[in-house]
Amino acid sequence: QIYSSDSSSTIWGHLDFRLPPLYAAFVNGVAVHSMDFDDTWHPATHPSGAVLSALIALSEAFPQKKKISGLDLLLAFNVGIEVQGRLLHFSREARNIPKRFHPPAVVGTMGSAAACAKLLALDQLECKNALAIAASYAGAPLANAATQIKPLHVGNAAKHGLEAACLALQGLQGNEQILDMKSGMGAFYTDYNPQTLPTSQSYPWLLEQQDVAIKCFPAHLATHWVADAASSVRRKLVESSENLLSLDKIEKVILRVPEVKYVNRPSPASEHEARHSFQFVACSALLDGSMSVQSFTSENVHRPALRELLCKTQLEHPPDNTPSFDSLYCEVSVTLRDGNTVSGRCTTFYGHWRKPLKKEDLEKKFQSNALGILPIEAMEGIIETVYNLEKVEDCSVLSTFLSGQSTRALPEKL
Amino acid sequence: PEETVTGSFASFIHAARPEHLSQTVRQRSKRMILDSIGVGLVGSTTRVFDIALRYCRLYSSVAVSSVYGKPGVKLSPTLAAFTNGVATHSMDFDDTWHPATHPSGAVLPALLAASQMLPPSTKPNGLDFLLAFNVGLEVQGRLMHFSTEAHDIPKRFHPPSVVGTLGSAAATAKLLSLSSAQCCHALGIAASLAGAPMANAATQAKPLHVGNATRLGLEAALLAARGMEASPLILDDIPGCSGFSAFYSLYQPKPLAAPGEHHEFLLEKQDIAFKRFPAHLGMHWVVDAALSVRNLFINYAGSFSPSLIRTIVLRIPVSKYINRPFPSSEHQARHSFQFNACAALLDGEVGLGSFSESSIHRQELRELLDKVVVEHPEDNVANFDKMYGEVALLLHSGDILTGKCDTFYGHWRKPLSKESLLKKFRSNASHVLPEEKIEAIITLVDNLENLSDSSQL
Repeated sequence: QIYSSDSSSTIWGHLDFRLPPLYAAFVNGVAVHSMDFDDTWHPATHPSGAVLSALIALSEAFPQKKKISGLDLLLAFNVGIEVQGRLLHFSREARNIPKRFHPPAVVGTMGSAAACAKLLALDQLECKNALAIAASYAGAPLANAATQIKPLHVGNAAKHGLEAACLALQGLQGNEQILDMKSGMGAFYTDYNPQTLPTSQSYPWLLEQQDVAIKCFPAHLATHWVADAASSVRRKLVESSENLLSLDKIEKVILRVPEVKYVNRPSPASEHEARHSFQFVACSALLDGSMSVQSFTSENVHRPALRELLCKTQLEHPPDNTPSFDSLYCEVSVTLRDGNTVSGRCTTFYGHWRKPLKKEDLEKKFQSNALGILPIEAMEGIIETVYNLEKVEDCSVLSTFLSGQSTRALPEKL
Repeated sequence: PEETVTGSFASFIHAARPEHLSQTVRQRSKRMILDSIGVGLVGSTTRVFDIALRYCRLYSSVAVSSVYGKPGVKLSPTLAAFTNGVATHSMDFDDTWHPATHPSGAVLPALLAASQMLPPSTKPNGLDFLLAFNVGLEVQGRLMHFSTEAHDIPKRFHPPSVVGTLGSAAATAKLLSLSSAQCCHALGIAASLAGAPMANAATQAKPLHVGNATRLGLEAALLAARGMEASPLILDDIPGCSGFSAFYSLYQPKPLAAPGEHHEFLLEKQDIAFKRFPAHLGMHWVVDAALSVRNLFINYAGSFSPSLIRTIVLRIPVSKYINRPFPSSEHQARHSFQFNACAALLDGEVGLGSFSESSIHRQELRELLDKVVVEHPEDNVANFDKMYGEVALLLHSGDILTGKCDTFYGHWRKPLSKESLLKKFRSNASHVLPEEKIEAIITLVDNLENLSDSSQL
């Protein structure tokens, strides 16, 4: 807020304050990833946050007479997603859960630049330069995952990609072979094999072949398998003991998960750490039956019953459990004092691309998230607008809804 | 609790005091400050600066910070830092250290911007400013010592964008008197803003690396001041989950000693190289070698007659991004052994004007470039402490004249004299400032320790 000027873009959910596009993109991007609740793709990244927040902020910065249609927005969005996916395919190391650089900071910056370049209708040379400039902003180390900074990775990706496109528009030039060179984009990978994009008449979008995973609760994707398995174990435990779960009957909890160091936290102390902890999610799901936004409040993170259960929890890393969102699985095994063991296993959780959320459930998630922040009309307005995006003439209605304005005049624009 | 590497850095930043600065360190760092300002001033006349400034002006309402060469223009602190950082590196005229980075441009603009941001009652004095500057340098130097790969001319990430960002965060954290914990977080936040690939060197985007390093480091410190927290182990080596190690293939961090008896600033033992003309440091060896062989040639032939030359052999280290037989832009020309050698041969000197459009595309120069062949002797390592440059003229007559340079004037082994440094500053600053202002800056920096309000700078 320190640097606001007389521009011009919405802070989602806030009517009272606006920021210049760059900073609006930043804060909205931070918001999107703040709870680790946003989408995840394969190869691994969080594709939408960096692109959408940049595009919406940018769309509001155009002069009055130049309208951006819903279709323009949708196309630019898909360009931003596609670029990210293609870049991820240039390295085999990108297929696994990352260890060195946090993917949204790498490819997200490039995706944001590409999407903004598209919306700004930059020419081919300017698009190349937007990508080249963006590369010089890309990359953040993984060690900041599970801290407050991680959301900034997406915020910065959005902001810097937008900045790169704007600088390119002003004529700034970078290395036109930025994606070809090992000392270009290749700097972020140990194996890097770029390929030219197909130029067929009907372009084969990656999103066609490979959907995203949508999360049901705000935590690292790998914990979703754990939550499913733990919930099923809890159901079995409760059934077999007259609908009561007595925790003191539990001797040991074993989680069989892939080896992912930054999600292995036996005793998380903050909300950010809890969202990146196999152990925490397993125990929460065992205690409560399911996970929600509320599972990560300070009270819940520190409750004694949970802490007790955490002490009984161990991890095992079966060699066949590869750290890839496409192939990992999770097994939860609870050993009781009487010697019995109750187990559950999850290979595909609900919301994963192999088992996508149904329309009603996606809407339910949206409504639950927007409740209390946007008025009902704005919420419905957004759902309506997004479903019919191709037909929307002026996508600024989206921003108007996002700012929390509920006006009667809006339906006319749709 | 066991001392982590990250924690030791945070403690160092927090605990450093003016008394810890030795005489040598003070003197060297003031020279760096002066040179950096001069380079930033002349840099404010470049096209890349122009783009950066136009861009930043869109966003600044809390405009309190000054911009090099643009009296009356003010921007928000981070954007002013950005713009001034771009100016500083716009012509590749700024200082270079060993291990390799451009240390001052990443730190000074952030400090200047921040000093104007602070309310009158808490303005840092000149000594605080000098201390913060040195903290920023020291952190950069120490980080580079964590990887042997940093000793050589870089290939993957451009060092100012890696260590420069953390240096800026450290320096700003110092100036703002952040707590030890906040200093730690500033470093952690900065790490997530670091890193730009080498491929953009020799393009217009390269100056952005320094601009962003200084700006984002400042942002990191400001965020830390407002309570943002990052990984407290960002500099430590955690297998399976990279922190700062992400930028290197081999990474061996060590804790930093507390300031005082056991600690010596790196600047004490390892001075800076100042450039005499605006081009990549590697060019300076080749130019000095070319100038010496040119003299030999003039003695031999009476004048510089290119037609007598059959081949020009350059013996240089292997470094892809500065090996360009036919550069087509000013940025490429600044990163071309061949171009700099030929310009020196042709003109008897290399200066600001050598890199103008007309100069780059001169017919006589192109003809000379055609005659150049490059050799990479095994003993010529791509390292600013060890490399050399050799220029051999193979004449049609069969005679061979050779010039060699191990240490150019301006290198840390042969530092610029005070007069030479001032000459460079005056020449640079005169592009945008009147004489009184120029002399005022010189005096101010020379007496920095006695300045009561560093925002005057």
